[in-house]
Amino acid sequence: MNTKNKLYLIAFAFVSFAMASCSSEDPVPENDGEVITDVTLMFQEIDASGNAVGSPVEFTASDAEGIEVGGAPTIETVMLAKGKTYEMSIEVYNSIENENITEEIQEEGDEHQFYFLGSAFTSSPFLSYTYDDEGTELIGLKGIVSVQQSPGFSTAEMRVILRHDLDKNFPGADNPNFTDYAQAGGESDLDITFPVVVE
Amino acid sequence: MNLKTGLLITAFILLAAFSIQAQDCKLSIRGKIIHLENNEPIEAAYVWIVEAEEGAVSDQNGNFTVKNLCLGTYTLTIQYIGHKTITDTVNLESNNYSKTYRLEDEALELSGVEIHGHRDAVQTTSSVSALYGENLLESRGENLGESLKRISGVSTFSTGNSIAKPVIHGMHSNRIMIMNNGIRLEGQQWGAEHAPEIDPFLADEITVVKGAETVRYGPEAMGGVILVNPAPLPTNKFRKTSLNLIGGTNGRMGNINVVHAGGSEKIKGFGYRIQGSAKRSGNIKSPDYFQDNTGVSELNLSTSLGYSTSKLGVEAYYSLFHSELGILNDSHTGNLSDLENIIENGRPFGDGEFTYDIVNPKQRVTHHLAKLKSHYHISESWKVNFQYGFQLNHRQEFDKRRGDLNEKASLDLELFTNTLDLYVNHTHKNELSGTWGLNLIQQANSNVPGTGVTPLIPNYDMVNVGMYAMEKYSKGPLEVEAGVRFDFRNVNTARYINQELQTADLNYQNFSAFLGGLYHISPDLTFNSNLGSAWRPPNVNELFSEGLHHGAAAVEIGDPDLKSEKSLKWINELQYDGNKTHLEFTAYLNPIQDYIYLNPTGETYVSLRGTFNVYEYLQANAFFYGFDFAGSYEFTDKISGYLKGAIVQAKNTEEDNYLPFIPSNRLDWGVSYDFAKATDSRTNKLTLSNVLVAKQSREPDFDIAPAPPAYALFNLAYNRQLTVGENKLNLGLQVQNLFNTNYKDYMNRFRYFTYDMGRNVLLKINYEF
Repeated sequence: MNTKNKLYLIAFAFVSFAMASCSSEDPVPENDGEVITDVTLMFQEIDASGNAVGSPVEFTASDAEGIEVGGAPTIETVMLAKGKTYEMSIEVYNSIENENITEEIQEEGDEHQFYFLGSAFTSSPFLSYTYDDEGTELIGLKGIVSVQQSPGFSTAEMRVILRHDLDKNFPGADNPNFTDYAQAGGESDLDITFPVVVE
Repeated sequence: MNLKTGLLITAFILLAAFSIQAQDCKLSIRGKIIHLENNEPIEAAYVWIVEAEEGAVSDQNGNFTVKNLCLGTYTLTIQYIGHKTITDTVNLESNNYSKTYRLEDEALELSGVEIHGHRDAVQTTSSVSALYGENLLESRGENLGESLKRISGVSTFSTGNSIAKPVIHGMHSNRIMIMNNGIRLEGQQWGAEHAPEIDPFLADEITVVKGAETVRYGPEAMGGVILVNPAPLPTNKFRKTSLNLIGGTNGRMGNINVVHAGGSEKIKGFGYRIQGSAKRSGNIKSPDYFQDNTGVSELNLSTSLGYSTSKLGVEAYYSLFHSELGILNDSHTGNLSDLENIIENGRPFGDGEFTYDIVNPKQRVTHHLAKLKSHYHISESWKVNFQYGFQLNHRQEFDKRRGDLNEKASLDLELFTNTLDLYVNHTHKNELSGTWGLNLIQQANSNVPGTGVTPLIPNYDMVNVGMYAMEKYSKGPLEVEAGVRFDFRNVNTARYINQELQTADLNYQNFSAFLGGLYHISPDLTFNSNLGSAWRPPNVNELFSEGLHHGAAAVEIGDPDLKSEKSLKWINELQYDGNKTHLEFTAYLNPIQDYIYLNPTGETYVSLRGTFNVYEYLQANAFFYGFDFAGSYEFTDKISGYLKGAIVQAKNTEEDNYLPFIPSNRLDWGVSYDFAKATDSRTNKLTLSNVLVAKQSREPDFDIAPAPPAYALFNLAYNRQLTVGENKLNLGLQVQNLFNTNYKDYMNRFRYFTYDMGRNVLLKINYEF
């Protein structure tokens, strides 16, 4: 066998090996870890000295499929009473991975912040919000919501936005009703509009 | 007859004879000199007309002209080092004499003979432009897309300043093809933000074929082909090292490249080359602010080994491309409202700051390409070729995510590609030459598990078998070429959607053909025309996309029932190469059947994350046409100028609207002043150039932001070549965007988010030793 033939044989062996070793892997189902499927607003009525009154009420927005094309989210109507003050805490959950994301947001408090917009807080607002988080960072996982004694409307909208990777030192970013939140940079992880009814 | 009459008659006869002679001595012999074995033109071959004692040297296209010859019979000799001398007898009767000469390699045994490396140039009747020499040197440090903007009719489709895809006559991604040293580059080209995985430093010439070249190169070569070719390997005793050092102020970019090539003295015909480049740049600055997270880090390598005798040629080649690049922070939008906010703002919300750090969102891409090529001359006119290529593309895209997920890629794809080419070339002295071949492509794409994101495209296996034949007939000033090809492709896909396995088995096939011709109207003037059909099977992302595309805040939905795109491209070029003038004019018509495009449905998708636009892949007939031109002129020995421009029109003929992301009209002109003395061949030149880009008035019906206004940029370049001993030192100083103009380009997807790059001062040093 001369060198030339050997060379072609080596080439042939090389090619057949590479061709044979090359087929795609079997797909593996992937659970969407980043997705938020359930957001629960928990309202606990408090009195003037901050003590809990009665039992808390919960309102949930959920979208079981996460980000997939298809089903729209179900968003419950938030029902609150006139003249009352509530402590609102937000629970964020991924039901696909069975993961509580609330803790992650708390841990990465320097990168996350909730904003509360919509007609409930603007024009003639019937709700007012102040951050009341544990620790020093303003996050919005906990806050105080006060309902006006005699609001001009009984229905409105509350838009809950969770910003990620924003500049928390941006002027105005400490205002929970900051309409120009986009100016502080970052992106929205959540943007849910809850209908609100006060009675 | 008295003396007076006699004198008069003599004078008359003499005058007549003189005038006849004067008339008939303006004939010329024209010709083209090419390599017998691969049709590549031979530059600097020496032509001698024995009787007239006149000579000429062939130019880079192999053309030569010997002017001012009289009627008669001449003996013509053509000599080129390492090749057999041709002697031809020419009976010159008219001014139309033109002939193609094929030079044959001399046997290697001849000692001291320099033989050329085996390299296949494109021999096509399509319009071809190349970037080499001084122009390529000027483009060093830029990515492939940016470099190729120097060729008229080529622009870029970019995502920010570090991702640029070349666009030929309005087509990009999977509608054009990029060849890395003869192997079709197989990466994840479907994505708008997926740059070609190739380092321009590995090339010493980048050629753009602007016609449809499906027959020669296979499916997807619809709009054109880009050939990135290294220099031929040395085949005799030789040693050369070339070093490039480049620094840029914008992004504080540093770029280094080293190429070393050598040939062995002991083993005749053995040569090697090794090349490596590294690039690092930080945040890019727009005139008024830094673009956060726009750094680039690149590390590339290529190496080849070759052995050739007069009959056999073997080449092994490997190239590695590794890049990590940051994606502009503010371009990563959470939902439609975020997107609208930043578009309204017109620029990022923050002013940013300089850093080399690259954080999420970012891309990390590694591309390996290995090839083995061999040819063998069975006889003087027949050659068999074998080429095998292996490629592995690993693409990871990282998004801004919460917690541990931030460390994980949200897109992680591994693509294996095997290509096998077997073909036969024949070249005959009777003016016929051709190629017949078989082409096999096999591909496997896998999503690497563990991303925590439902994959955008499924895992798949693809096999493509193609058979083709092309023949070319050359006689004198005329070349006619025709070819046919048949392709069959099978695609097998599998993926999980909501824990359910979905599979598909799809077949595509197509017959394509082309016909082209080239005619040398006069020694200076050439006309070529090429009509080629081309096709492209739908891409996997067009068939199966189903999910969120972050940067665009869009949900994209594929259609598994899409048919193959079929196109016909007719391209015509007129080229004039005078003493002081060079002109190129290209015009084309390109109807496409079942053109696949992403159409906004007008619907929005609502989720807890917010609202998103919904896009779907549709098909419709489309029509592309346009022209481009390039010209240069030497006003004096010192001053020269150039002008380049392109217009592309692209319409969806069914809906009668314009297609998105088609380049707007552009014009590029410049003036150079040459400081070098006429006797000095070394460059010493200052060039002021101006790029004018019109507003895209042919806008599609839907776009998330209107087309940005027209802009004008000025650039300044000073290039100087020095000799250090026997070595060459090239120095270049360039100022891009001289006036630090704020502008946005329609073809940059990040025009929604930011102004383009501001002023950049670059220093480019090239030393050859």
